[in-house]
Amino acid sequence: MKRMLKAMLVAVLTAGGLSLPGAAAADTLDQVRQRGSLNCGVSQGLIGFSSRAADGAWSGFDVDFCKALAASVLGDASKVSYVPLSAAERFDALRQGRIDILSRNSTWTMQREVEFGLIFAGVNFHDGQGFMVQRGLNVTSALELDGKKVCVQAGTTAQGLVADYFRSNSMTVEVQTLPDAAATLAAFAAKTCDVMTTDNSGLFAERLKLPRPQDAVVLPDIVTKEPLGPVTRADDMRWHNIVKWVTFALINAEELGVTAANIAEARQSAKPEVRRFAGVEGGLGPMLGLQADWALRAVAAVGNYAEVYERNVGSQSRLGIPRGLNQLWSNGGILFAPPIR
Amino acid sequence: MIRSSAVGLAGGAFLALLASAAPAFTQAAPQRAMRETMAIGDEPGRVSTEEVVIDEGPFARQMVFFRSGEAPGTVVIHTSERFLYVVQGNNRALRYGIGVGREGFTWSGLVKVSRKAEWPDWTPPPEMIQRQPYLPRFMAGGKGNPMGARALYLGSTVYRVHGTNQPETIGHAVSSGCFRLANGDVIDLYDRVAVGAKVIIRHGPAV
Repeated sequence: MKRMLKAMLVAVLTAGGLSLPGAAAADTLDQVRQRGSLNCGVSQGLIGFSSRAADGAWSGFDVDFCKALAASVLGDASKVSYVPLSAAERFDALRQGRIDILSRNSTWTMQREVEFGLIFAGVNFHDGQGFMVQRGLNVTSALELDGKKVCVQAGTTAQGLVADYFRSNSMTVEVQTLPDAAATLAAFAAKTCDVMTTDNSGLFAERLKLPRPQDAVVLPDIVTKEPLGPVTRADDMRWHNIVKWVTFALINAEELGVTAANIAEARQSAKPEVRRFAGVEGGLGPMLGLQADWALRAVAAVGNYAEVYERNVGSQSRLGIPRGLNQLWSNGGILFAPPIR
Repeated sequence: MIRSSAVGLAGGAFLALLASAAPAFTQAAPQRAMRETMAIGDEPGRVSTEEVVIDEGPFARQMVFFRSGEAPGTVVIHTSERFLYVVQGNNRALRYGIGVGREGFTWSGLVKVSRKAEWPDWTPPPEMIQRQPYLPRFMAGGKGNPMGARALYLGSTVYRVHGTNQPETIGHAVSSGCFRLANGDVIDLYDRVAVGAKVIIRHGPAV
């Protein structure tokens, strides 16, 4: 009888949309703490985002997010077990609990949340389809590509979208499809086509492989939405909130001027926003189930968003992807994080 | 990274200038107009031509996405990023890699382009002469001048956007607060920015 009452109570609470903290099937935070390390799903190798050096050390934009999270939760950025995953297996790996979090250039779409029972914790990289053109064309906008020859990899979403884009802008281009990424780049390098198209981050990576990268220009136009961000299971809101707010913390740190180099000054700051960020005021860390200085720990480990970006994919990296959409909302981009208060 | 037809040291003596270090230099001297405040490491006499542009890598001149309510032709300088943007409208800007002030020489504010000059002269201010007595009191504009090929004077401040005879310093914090571009890039910029154009200088907030 007692058991039945309890079951009924749980049913009522669940039906009412309430969930008890820690009542989920698995409490990820507790598991991570017991294990003493974070299982972080990353790509099998993508320049700038996650790659493994000869000595086994992982680095990249997505890897840094794993480190920031481990620093925040465990106090040690090195306590991460990286799980390289293919595109096909990544979401199953997360659902089955093989990883605590997926940090693998994955696009936030409706289907992935509602069908797979996952939640994206925010957007940390706004990608989207872009265009790379021969410098000699002297083109500065995708709207100037009328009559040009465009190379695209067959079977990709880019193939369908490129036709849509030019048709909706009343432009006629000659689309040439190629069997794979290497053939697409080779056709562009041989100047068989004036333009090649794929996701913006991919264009910068492909451009590096050209014999003379400076002869190619990536246009500023991004014509589709590919918002990338970390993903968690939908049945553990406490853990999801931690992942989400660590994502936002790195962005807020840039906005507040908190860097890996001024952690000590941030602890002494007189500014209320910085004091809340540093955990000197507000008590927000313990509400998350973390230490008061959870956000500072993340920044101390990897730097703020700008530092992570520039080091891995921006001006301090070989890729050199301009901040563009990923610039702060207040500095010309659309990157926006809710406030920590 | 740097394409150059003739970059070289005019004399070994200037290497000595590179090696010396100096104490911080007062940054607020807005009334001392038309004076240059170049920092240590300048190499007067070193020759760089007007053909030098950054044409490869992240600091190469390029059109980028840039959301802005400012009028086309407005210059936005992000000192912590080492980039200068010329707003183009339609959510884009032309971006140039720059060298900026060393730590302690970073500043932010809103000014207007008060004057433009080709191959500007260089008159190191008294504070600078005091610290580096070996610097010339005056140096006529030209290919060996640290001011480079063009200069945009910023309001009534001692600061300006100018060229350089040291294009390898682009992307670094080296100057006394001026913003330097490779000569070929500052020549390109010069023709795009009018006297009277608004210049917004942004620096990351302090904690």
